[in-house]
Amino acid sequence: MTSLSSAVALPSSCRARPAGSSRRARMVVTRAAASSPKLPNGRRLRVAVVGGGPAGGAAAEALAKGGVDTVLIERKMDNCKPCGGAIPLCMVSEFDLPLDLVDRKVRKMKMISPSNVAVDIGRTLAPHEYIGMVRREVLDAYLRSRAQTAGAEVVNGLFLRYEAPKEPNGSYVVHYNHYDSSSNGKVGGEKRSFEVDAIVGADGANSRVAKDMGAGDYEYAIAFQERVKIPDDKMAYYEERAEMYVGDDVSPDFYGWVFPKCDHVAVGTGTVTHKADIKKFQAATRLRAKDKIEGGKIIRVEAHPIPEHPRPKRVSGRVTLVGDAAGYVTKCSGEGIYFAAKSGQMCAEAIVAGSANGTRMVEESDLRKYLAEFDRLYWPTYKVLDILQKVFYRSNAAREAFVEMCADDYVQKMTFDSYLYKRVVPGNPLDDIKLAVNTIGSLVRATALRREMEKVTL
Amino acid sequence: MAMATSTFSPRPATLRTPRPHSHPHLRLVPSPRLRLRRLARAAGEAPVEVAPPEQRETEPSPAVASNGTASKAATTAVKAEAVPAPVPSFRDARWVNGTWDLTKFEKGGVVDWDAVIDAEARRRKWLEDYPEATNTDEAVIFDTSIIPWWAWMKRFHLPEAEKLNGRAAMVGFFMAYFVDSLTGVGLVDQMGNFFCKTLLLVAVAAVLLIRKNEDLDNLKNIIDETTFYDKQWQATWQDEATGGPKN
Ligand SMILES: Cc1cc2nc3c(=O)[nH]c(=O)nc-3n(C[C@H](O)[C@H](O)[C@H](O)COP(=O)(O)OP(=O)(O)OC[C@H]3O[C@@H](n4cnc5c(N)ncnc54)[C@H](O)[C@@H]3O)c2cc1C
Repeated sequence: MTSLSSAVALPSSCRARPAGSSRRARMVVTRAAASSPKLPNGRRLRVAVVGGGPAGGAAAEALAKGGVDTVLIERKMDNCKPCGGAIPLCMVSEFDLPLDLVDRKVRKMKMISPSNVAVDIGRTLAPHEYIGMVRREVLDAYLRSRAQTAGAEVVNGLFLRYEAPKEPNGSYVVHYNHYDSSSNGKVGGEKRSFEVDAIVGADGANSRVAKDMGAGDYEYAIAFQERVKIPDDKMAYYEERAEMYVGDDVSPDFYGWVFPKCDHVAVGTGTVTHKADIKKFQAATRLRAKDKIEGGKIIRVEAHPIPEHPRPKRVSGRVTLVGDAAGYVTKCSGEGIYFAAKSGQMCAEAIVAGSANGTRMVEESDLRKYLAEFDRLYWPTYKVLDILQKVFYRSNAAREAFVEMCADDYVQKMTFDSYLYKRVVPGNPLDDIKLAVNTIGSLVRATALRREMEKVTL
Repeated sequence: MAMATSTFSPRPATLRTPRPHSHPHLRLVPSPRLRLRRLARAAGEAPVEVAPPEQRETEPSPAVASNGTASKAATTAVKAEAVPAPVPSFRDARWVNGTWDLTKFEKGGVVDWDAVIDAEARRRKWLEDYPEATNTDEAVIFDTSIIPWWAWMKRFHLPEAEKLNGRAAMVGFFMAYFVDSLTGVGLVDQMGNFFCKTLLLVAVAAVLLIRKNEDLDNLKNIIDETTFYDKQWQATWQDEATGGPKN
């Protein structure tokens, strides 16, 4: 392990910022795994974290802080993950993110129906509440730098494969291509390997760790996004605003978006069911935003898979998956940054607890504790969003009803609360019933209109 | 997709209004598409088939591999403005400032709600065939709830609407609990709050409601659909001898 040199190239914006010393120390629950053997002569538990996105960065930091000997492998230090970059407010506080990481604070989220009915959801936001927009290259580099400050070794290299141990408490061998600073992110590099006791796969949707452990596949959506630099006067409109377009034209099963970034907007859409038509959906999204982005320069075009559900297997021996590698993106909203970071952190905490702060060997059962806890905490959120997607994205009629519903202050408050804070505060039962009645009303009307539409010939 | 399959004649130049972004004043009756064809024919041209503008654009195309990442830097202007859109836009004299001007629907001193419903169905159908750009100056604010409930009821035969409503709500209610007990995750129980229960209930009711009626009888499909995601999540716990998440 000591032979590994860390060649870390951080964007200057991040190098300048020392990883916050003001962060409150996380309380690490220490609970010795009774059954697992103590590690010999003071050796610490060694864990490899593969992938340096939000999942990997958060995992490596929590592991290092908990006394585990941690190596994080990232293939591209300035990786700019294709992503909308929207994060909930609770992520800023739970991960103590410095505010200058947030490029934009979105306070008006515009939902636009197939017939262009637009509602601003965000009226109920308190002055300090917002949806943060971050650049992923900045967020990821920052989280990695924090992991490094906490004592993790950050290595620039491409993970190739791992070898499982032959004997019960044996070591895993991790093989990777080492890049030094001169070949940063390039092909080539030097083949190296090292031994670890456990592996955390945080290497995203095309995870090699998942492949090696036979985790199985998941359904995925393809998301397409164009970064468009628009004139300042047009940018002003998107100052605090993001747009979500719904309709069969922009996506049969997801939504099209215009998200503000630091000095440009990201225009994109996604679909699971009609991947071949993604360009058509993108064109439709552009058409719907038309005047607002017209004349802009496309500075970058990107596409990336988004997992739809967890892989059939998320743990095998002492190897486990977190973030997109595991498949933790919500339906309906397509949110994954927070859940990636959170799963990385929870996984690390389970390893720290199971190894009694890095002094004992861990077992599959320790890793399963993280899975159980993650599922317990977030399964309802995922399920609700799955239901919402199934109900409201299934037809234009349903989408019209959805947007109509979103005009309601109570709905806005509840959705924002659950998005921003990842918890659902009990509402007022009377309001809930009113909401139920209104929703059914909206759906009935939209369905009735749909029936009329079928009779119309233009 | 209607956009991809529909073809129409280019708008004759005479229909263009001087303002660069304004739309031609087309009437809904007769259908503008037909009318344009007629105009074109009258002008002695055969109808020319024109692809929608966005399809003509050549966009930078990263190879969207089946499961791979693709991204590339590009400097191309958003070309929408280069091609004057031949897409006819929705116009109706009664559609004013993003909503239906109810005074224009008055018949004998009262609003003819049936006509409003007709007009809105037509507008939605139109926009489905010709999706239109959003306009910040003229936001669409029409809300179907301004049409009184009795107008819907009268229109869609009270007994049928009631039956549909009641059946869906009832089946939905039981389904929510049934599905929940099936999955063994105890969603309803876990969400110890009324909002989520209501949401779940509404949602399941809605799945049933907006289905075609004949599907309603096919309960098995509905159960499969509702529990599919649960199975995907639970797969992790299946290979464990003990089964089920243990905390
Ligand atoms: C177009 C688009 C828009 C999105 N918008 C949003 C949004 O607005 N809000 C939101 O919350 N979520 C959004 N998501 C989802 C979000 O991007 C992901 O859920 C999130 O990035 C998952 O983080 P991760 O750390 O698990 O994986 P990733 O971010 O994919 O990170 C994986 C890391 O591992 C590295 N890596 C991969 N393979 C190897 C290897 N073999 N060796 C070494 N390193 C490797 C990669 O370089 C990368 O840095 C969006 C996704 C897409 C595609």
